[in-house]
Amino acid sequence: MSEHRSTDGCRSVVRAVARCFLATVLSGTCFNPLCDSEAQRVAPEARQIFMDVTDQAGITWRRFAGESPDRFLIETMGGGAAFLDLDGDGLLDIFFVNGGETPRGKSSSPVRNALYRNLGNGKFEDLAAKAGVDRIGFYGMGVAVADFDNDGFPDLYVTGFPFSALFHNNRDGTFTDVTEQAGVKNAERWAASAAWFDFDRDGLLDLVVTNYAQFSFADEKKCEIGGVRAYCAQTSYIGMPLTLFHNEGNGRFTDVSVHSGMAKLVGRALGVVAVDVNEDGWTDLFVARDASANLLLINQKDGTFQDVGSEAEVAYDAAGVAKAGMGVDAGDVNEDGRPDFVVTNFNDQYHSLLVGAGSGPYDDQTVASGLARLTKKFVGWGAHYIDFDNDGNLDLLIVNGHINQAIESTRMDVKYKQPPLLLRNDGNTAFRDMRERAGKVFQSNYSARGLAIGDWNNDGRADAVFTCLNGPPVLLKNISEPENSWIGFELQGTTSNRDAIGAKITIEADRRRLVRWMTGGSSYLSSHDKRVLVGLGPVSASSNLRAEIRWPNGNVQRLTELKPNRYYHVVEARPAP
Amino acid sequence: MPNLSVPRKCTKLAAAAGLNFLLALICQASGSPSFVSFLTEKQNDPAEAHLQQGLRLAQAGELQSAEGELRTAVRLKPDNAEFLSSLATVLAIEEKFDESTSLFEKALKSGPSDLRSRRHLAANLWQLRRYAEAKQNLIIILKVDPADSQAKLLLGMVSEKSGDHATAVTMLESVPDLVRRQPEAVVALAKSYYRTGERIKAADSLRALANGPLKAQGALLGAQVACDMQDYETAETLLSAIPAEFSDAAAARYCLAVVKFHTKQYQQSEQILQRLISAGQKNGEILRLLGWCYHKTNRDEDAIRTFRDAVELNPTDERNFLDLGGLLLEQRKFAAALELANRSVNAFPASADALVLLGSIELATERFTDALKTYSRSLSLDLNNAEGILGLARAQAGAGMGDHARRTLDEAIRRFPGRAPFEVELALLLLKESENGDSNSQTRTEELLQAAAKHDPTLAEAQFQLGELALRRGQTALAIVHLENAVRISPESARAHFALARGYRRAGRAEEAEKETVLFEKFKKGDAPGATSSPSNVPPNE
Repeated sequence: MSEHRSTDGCRSVVRAVARCFLATVLSGTCFNPLCDSEAQRVAPEARQIFMDVTDQAGITWRRFAGESPDRFLIETMGGGAAFLDLDGDGLLDIFFVNGGETPRGKSSSPVRNALYRNLGNGKFEDLAAKAGVDRIGFYGMGVAVADFDNDGFPDLYVTGFPFSALFHNNRDGTFTDVTEQAGVKNAERWAASAAWFDFDRDGLLDLVVTNYAQFSFADEKKCEIGGVRAYCAQTSYIGMPLTLFHNEGNGRFTDVSVHSGMAKLVGRALGVVAVDVNEDGWTDLFVARDASANLLLINQKDGTFQDVGSEAEVAYDAAGVAKAGMGVDAGDVNEDGRPDFVVTNFNDQYHSLLVGAGSGPYDDQTVASGLARLTKKFVGWGAHYIDFDNDGNLDLLIVNGHINQAIESTRMDVKYKQPPLLLRNDGNTAFRDMRERAGKVFQSNYSARGLAIGDWNNDGRADAVFTCLNGPPVLLKNISEPENSWIGFELQGTTSNRDAIGAKITIEADRRRLVRWMTGGSSYLSSHDKRVLVGLGPVSASSNLRAEIRWPNGNVQRLTELKPNRYYHVVEARPAP
Repeated sequence: MPNLSVPRKCTKLAAAAGLNFLLALICQASGSPSFVSFLTEKQNDPAEAHLQQGLRLAQAGELQSAEGELRTAVRLKPDNAEFLSSLATVLAIEEKFDESTSLFEKALKSGPSDLRSRRHLAANLWQLRRYAEAKQNLIIILKVDPADSQAKLLLGMVSEKSGDHATAVTMLESVPDLVRRQPEAVVALAKSYYRTGERIKAADSLRALANGPLKAQGALLGAQVACDMQDYETAETLLSAIPAEFSDAAAARYCLAVVKFHTKQYQQSEQILQRLISAGQKNGEILRLLGWCYHKTNRDEDAIRTFRDAVELNPTDERNFLDLGGLLLEQRKFAAALELANRSVNAFPASADALVLLGSIELATERFTDALKTYSRSLSLDLNNAEGILGLARAQAGAGMGDHARRTLDEAIRRFPGRAPFEVELALLLLKESENGDSNSQTRTEELLQAAAKHDPTLAEAQFQLGELALRRGQTALAIVHLENAVRISPESARAHFALARGYRRAGRAEEAEKETVLFEKFKKGDAPGATSSPSNVPPNE
């Protein structure tokens, strides 16, 4: 019998509430006095899907981009956010990466990151200073969270310019900057997204870093739109190769960019997701690049990667143009068991939907899915699949915002600040804009960038947080009607990396086969809930579900008699001696 | 993108020949017996006296004085058809065509059967490029006198100018002696032969020019026409027959440089031009062609420098501005292109092409609202400017005014049936709309592309888009046919190779797909700074 342990839905300090919650979670509804009072408070918006709870949560942090008359491109590109359980209390906390000052873009107060600890009552408290992660000596971009030393506590890799930093979780609410000894500084580079994944299946998480472009604050590029100073086109900047660090297991990493072949792949990389594309059990990479060909790097199982982007027809659009790829996510959008990619792009380019077709090239379903029509006017950044209503179909949450304010003087249909998009998958890989029901946030406009997904209140409904260029982030709570069932998995590797990045979960529920992956990276500059939350549709609470987990190291574990509407903490079974 | 004015014409001989033709026509008529006998009648009437004096002065070549006398005669008898006709004739010789034309028209109102006046009127109208009216009058003449050789000659000339080449050939072939005597008529016949597919006859006509009384001058004129009609072999043959001591040797050498350029012998063309410059023949046209040679051999900085020299040397030649502006735009040096375009618009306020250049730059930098205004201005100057119409539609589409763009293109198709670029542009617009969910557009899109391909089989874009549509529908074999056509027409088109690679891949032709991918990589703009970028992006100022 495989070892597993069920985890109650709501871990609350108030145990009576927890017991009540446990009873009711089995019936698929969330009920406790706190939930009730919130429900009463939000009653007028009961039909909405998401609610902005930033203020209620006590999140007061604001991002500083260093916007200046010089219009350095970096001012318009960051920053990231991460959901992580920093102290193992079962509640997702949030880390925000700040930007930084530029030569003529100064802040009146110190530019600090934020680390908000989830207090469990809908409130958060910033502990960044206490934790030692509030100040970094560089312009911050993104964050990748993972337990690189398999000690059970998540660590932080913060990317930026002109270098990046690794913070080791000391397990006591503090972090230590171990960048130098780990050898992951990625110096002299403008790093964007990063992803943890175990490319050689040695049970230790390695790190891939996307580097954007050759950049310097001494660079005097000047661009204008209609006589007004504007940010220059990305093609004015020469791209950079990726960086790949191999985890040696002793707190040290080795730069294997050259050996892996990644050092040759020069381009303006921004987003990355690690997922097994070809079903061989080895994690591959999709890299979204900005006006450079996207990369589909297939793990050759020998420490090297081969780019098959062209043959797979994911590198360019149908006209052979490299789109402005920023964010990326992988998920099975059409339930064929293969990962499909969503990539955010610039306005008029459409955010792409690339559907896996087995051995042949990917099928660009951007137009057929409605994504072209729905995203034409938007410049997209963070993007993530999310099953907001738990119907089993992967929906999309995308955040947008243009880079140049002057766009509104040249276009009537494209705005500088843009609304996020909640796009519902109707089950035939056709998407529908849920703007009217999604919530006020989706009818408001932002200069949004990073997007992280996570069930921060443990109610089985995926929530989200996104950052904005120069201002407060937005924390969203999913308050949709819980009409469908769900199941969640928190995986713990033993011979595989502890975070189980690279795992594939196949759930069988009512003749339906749902596949999900524990991906590394994804979205833009951001990091997500390590648990895999799977919507099941109208599966009854008494149903018995089955799941198969293919662990990153290749072990396969089967689980039976699973019940919906709960999280399962699954520990990788050790192979028999 | 404006039509870059790659030099085609070697000299301005053609224009000069046209005027000579008109004068010849009129002088022939003036020397006729009926004209001379006119002189001796009715001398007692003061008006008649002025008329007689005017005619005598005209025959003596004193045209200004003749005009004065004839004006007096007309003032005294304003409705006299003969007086009006005589004054009109003298004015025509003086190149005062507008006034001459209205006087002939007035004369014909009183005396509609005056074939001579009608013939002169037709000649004026031809000179004024009012070809349809010219044609009308000539048809009237030929109905009355089908053997009127002058009218046939002129009708042939008019037909050639108005694109009715079959009629031009018929008419001009019917008066061979007259044609032989008039270089412009020979040119018209040759052009019409070219346009009706009779290349050998065309070449023969032009060779006859070289062997005729004009000799070397005729050879040069013939070479220019052949070059214009892309018969470079004939052009080069004619040029080779021009002796080195020819008085206009520089013009002949320049013409040869043009021929070499168009036959892709860029180095040779460059050498000829450099020699001309060294010999002190530096002018705007030579510099422009040299700039084009540099461009074609990937020395764009040299090309820009040379085009700039042409502008500075001859700032009154708009083509210098257009070529430089076009290259700066192609190189995405938008700030410099914009500065030049604005200078061009100020220097040539009545030029639609200058505004089209400016509009192109505004389009490229996505200043759609500005481009809208600019293209609208260009069309107010020249309603028939194709680039202006296309640019306006693109600006409208870019600014989010899709309905307007559609109307602009629909109207253009209606006004200019068979013009493939409009059909393709509308198809592209509808394609975009169909991507945005308007499925009704798809059928019409395909119809437009098929029509465009039929109207202009050399239009790579139509083939490319038809191929793309077929690929989307899974009609791989059909897609490959269209895309192979696209690649054949436009062998340096990166996206055509890319799309063809996709087609081959789907057909399981992996090796061919790989070859096309290599070609795609070769021809696409790379990741270097200044390369093609996504929209709404602004490259840096220089």
